[in-house]
Amino acid sequence: MLRKLLLLSPLLLALALSACDDTKPAAPGSEGGEVKTPASPEPGPPTPDDEPSDGGAEQPSSEPNPPAPGPPVQPADPPASSAVSFNHNPPGVMPNGQGHGYLDRTVWSPAMCWPLQDDAFANSQVYGHGGGMGPAGTSQCDSANYSLPWRDNFCEARSRDNPLCAGGGTGHQGQDIRPATCKKNQYWAVAAEKGVITDIGSYTVTLVGSAAPHRTYRYLHMQMAALAVKEGDSVVAGQKLGKVANDFGGTPTTIHLHFELRAGVAGVTTDGKPVVLHTFLPPYMSLAEAYQRKLNGGTCS
Amino acid sequence: MRLVTGFVLGGILAAGALGAAVSQTRVDPATGAQVPGAAPATTTPARPGPAVLNRAPRGGQVDWKAAVGGLRQSGGANPAPNLNQAAVDMTRVPILLPADADLTAGARIYSFGDYYTITADAPGAGVSLSGTTTVVPLPAGTPLKLTAMGLESATSQRTVDGQLISFVRYGVLYTVEVRCDAPTDPRCADDNYARGLAAKTSTVVMGAAARAAAGLGG
Repeated sequence: MLRKLLLLSPLLLALALSACDDTKPAAPGSEGGEVKTPASPEPGPPTPDDEPSDGGAEQPSSEPNPPAPGPPVQPADPPASSAVSFNHNPPGVMPNGQGHGYLDRTVWSPAMCWPLQDDAFANSQVYGHGGGMGPAGTSQCDSANYSLPWRDNFCEARSRDNPLCAGGGTGHQGQDIRPATCKKNQYWAVAAEKGVITDIGSYTVTLVGSAAPHRTYRYLHMQMAALAVKEGDSVVAGQKLGKVANDFGGTPTTIHLHFELRAGVAGVTTDGKPVVLHTFLPPYMSLAEAYQRKLNGGTCS
Repeated sequence: MRLVTGFVLGGILAAGALGAAVSQTRVDPATGAQVPGAAPATTTPARPGPAVLNRAPRGGQVDWKAAVGGLRQSGGANPAPNLNQAAVDMTRVPILLPADADLTAGARIYSFGDYYTITADAPGAGVSLSGTTTVVPLPAGTPLKLTAMGLESATSQRTVDGQLISFVRYGVLYTVEVRCDAPTDPRCADDNYARGLAAKTSTVVMGAAARAAAGLGG
C-alpha cells in the first residue's frame, strides 16, 4: 500500500502543478484527431546524483551491451583539416573495446542549428564515468564527463541495429550529449532546423525538417512533462523544444540528450546490391560544425 | 538486421524501383523530367576529408502506373477521412494506409509534398507511417550491413524504442515505425508486429497533387 502511494505521489503532484503551470504546451488541436500526450510524470527538481537504472545504455538492463567485435576502425589517412577548431576527437575514432566507429566525415546536415541553447559535451554515456561500462565506482557527474574533447559515439557497441556500423551491423544510433553541467531540467534543447514536430513519445521527440531531404531528428530523454512543444507544432531553427533530462520511460537514464539524425538513403549492401532505406546517419560532424558556428557567434536564424 | 518477409502486395512490381531510379539519374517525381547534372549514387567518390553534403537530395520517380493500379485495387476510398485533407492534397506521392480502422481513426498527417508522415496511436505505443521520394546517396566504400532484404527491398531495424521497417513500392520509400512506451513491450522487442503492420499497409490514397501527377486530374 505504501509502495502504491509512493508511486502515485509524483503523478498527483504533477496533476496539481499542471493546474497552475502556464508553461505547459497548449492543448492539442482537434484537427485530424486527438494528439497523444506525454505519459511520464513530472520528474521533480534536479537531482544530479540520480542513479541511471539502465547504466546509461538506453536499453533495458536485461539486455547487455554486446561485446565489441574487435578493434575499432582507425583512419587510413591522417585526420583531414576541419573548420572545427574546438577540442574534439576525429569522427569515428573509438577507444579499444568500445565498438567500431564509422569513419564518415560527411556533414549530413550542413546548416544545422546547434541543438542545445548552451555549451555541452558530446561523449559516451555507457563508457564514460558513471556509465554501465564505465570505470567502476564513478559518478555520471564526474568532471571527466564535463570536459573536452568531444568524442563520437555513433556506432559505439550497442545491441540495436545500425547498418552503417562495421562488424555486425549493430551500434549506437546517434550521439550522446551531456548538458553544460550535471543538472537535469535546466538546459534547453532546441530545433536543429525548421520543421514540424511529428511525434512525441514517452521519452522521444521527433522533428522532421521542412526542406528536402526532410531529415528526421530525434531527441531523447528530455523532461517530457514540461516540453515547450506539442505534436503538430511548426518550429523554426533554434526554437526551444524541452529541457535535457534523464527521462527513459519509467526508469531514469543518465542526464543527457541522445540526438539522432535519420534520412532516406541510397547505398549498396556489403554484397553489392543497391538498396534504399530509411536509416541513421552519423550526426557528429554536423554537431561539431554547428557548435563551432555557435562558438563563432553565429545564430540559427 | 533481419529478413522481412510477408510483403506480397505489389512486391514484384516495385522491388528496388526507387533504388534503380536513384542510382541512375535524378528525376522530378512530379513531372518525370530528368534533372541534369545528378551523379549516380553508386559512383560517389569517397571523400578523404570533411565534406559538406553539397549534392542535391535525390528524388525518385514514382511509378504512377503501378500506383494507380494500387489505387484501383484499394477501391479509391479514403479509409481515414479524418486526415487533414489539405495535407493529403499537397502530397505528391501515393499515401499508404493500413487496413486497421482502430489505428487510422485518430491519425494525423504532416506533409511537405514530396514527404509525408502519418502519426497514429495504439495503446502504449505510437506508430508512424511515412513516404518519400527524396533520399540522399551514401558515400561509396561504406557498404551497408544488411544481411538480407525481403521483397520490395524490405528491411527492419530495431531502434532504441521500437522497430523501423522500410520498403520501396511504386518507386517510393515507405517506412513503418513502431515506438513502445515500455522497453519490454513485445511489439517492439522483435519485428513481428511491425512487419505485420507493414504487410497490411497497402491501401493507396491519392490527394489532388498525386492525382494530377498520375494523370487522373486534380
